[in-house]
Amino acid sequence: MGVQRIDRMELERVLGRLLAAGTYLAVVLVGLGVAGLVLADRSPLGPGVAPFDPGRLPADIAAGRAEGFLWLGIIVAIATPAARVGAALFGYARLGERTMAAVSAAVLAVIALGVLLALGTG
Amino acid sequence: MEVTLVLAAGGVAAGLFGALLGLGGGILIVPLLTLGFGLPVREAVGVSLVCVIVTSGAAAGVYLQRHVANLRLGMVLELFTAIGALAGGLGAFLLPEPVLAGLFALLLAYSAASMLRRGVGDSAEAPLADGALIADPGIPASSPSAWGGTLSGPGYRVRGLGAGMAGSVGAGVISALLGVGGGIVKVPLMHLVMGVPLRVATATSNLMIGVTASASAIIYLLRGGIDPLVAGPTALGVFVGASVGSRTAHRVDARVLRALFVLVLLYSAVEMARRALGAG
Repeated sequence: MGVQRIDRMELERVLGRLLAAGTYLAVVLVGLGVAGLVLADRSPLGPGVAPFDPGRLPADIAAGRAEGFLWLGIIVAIATPAARVGAALFGYARLGERTMAAVSAAVLAVIALGVLLALGTG
Repeated sequence: MEVTLVLAAGGVAAGLFGALLGLGGGILIVPLLTLGFGLPVREAVGVSLVCVIVTSGAAAGVYLQRHVANLRLGMVLELFTAIGALAGGLGAFLLPEPVLAGLFALLLAYSAASMLRRGVGDSAEAPLADGALIADPGIPASSPSAWGGTLSGPGYRVRGLGAGMAGSVGAGVISALLGVGGGIVKVPLMHLVMGVPLRVATATSNLMIGVTASASAIIYLLRGGIDPLVAGPTALGVFVGASVGSRTAHRVDARVLRALFVLVLLYSAVEMARRALGAG
């Protein structure tokens, strides 16, 4: 057993902290976006916003537009579970648990396939 | 401004009810948005998926840090829920709105019937008490030679892995089509079929919700099925409501709430069925 090896319990703690941190970050970003909606007196049921465009995100956030923070919060929320799986892949690989590392990689592959299919057939 | 606050308040109510009664808030969000705010079912499902991810994330983080959830079992099963969610997410854009509304009506009716059958004081996704801790779930209780045995935990041994995988695909499809966490399938599956203790099954199901819902939420996002202006206030409200509900659930007599909830579910089921039939 190497000194630098993390054990399973530590891996679970790290993954738990990652999930919690990602979720709270997403909630804060969404909260900023909702505050922006309220301050601007915009109705969520009014004219819809443009579909998600990653290229516009930095400009929207820099301009303090509500939809920028809302999109970013939603992206962080959706990406957090995938980040947890990526961290698990890394952790299991370090622990030498090849089967669990392969399971983690397969989960990420399914998520990636979803992205490709959605882009390809959208 | 009023609509933003009403959406957030609706989210708070859905999250609070869900947490107090041991159901995810997701089952209330779609009826709230479709029947209350006139959103198309598919758009409501996309918003609900975001709410489900946010609500489950914080709780799953705590369950992992306390070693309540069985991480290894959850990761194996979420591979299959993700496959189901991928299929369901793509299928949701092929199915007509009335079919989605009809499926949701069936889910609501089933949930109401399950709640009536279970009676008071029992729930499939009851919040976990602080004392509900177990030692490292990754270490098998016995000494199995097969890899599947390493998915077991202290005091229990996982069985029926094949059935669990197949059922997980179904849970993923339901989650993606209807915007719910899928605990209504996963918890009984793990507990009754796979021999996982209820508290561990509940925590593990919560852990799996994130990846399951993310796999389909990405599809909704990239296909324009998520409106951030609606999703933001609703998700924020659900998060607040669920946080308050999970902290106060043990102090609330759920009997009256449960009866009220059954009525809400049945009313929503009828209205969704009317919508499916073109009368709503």
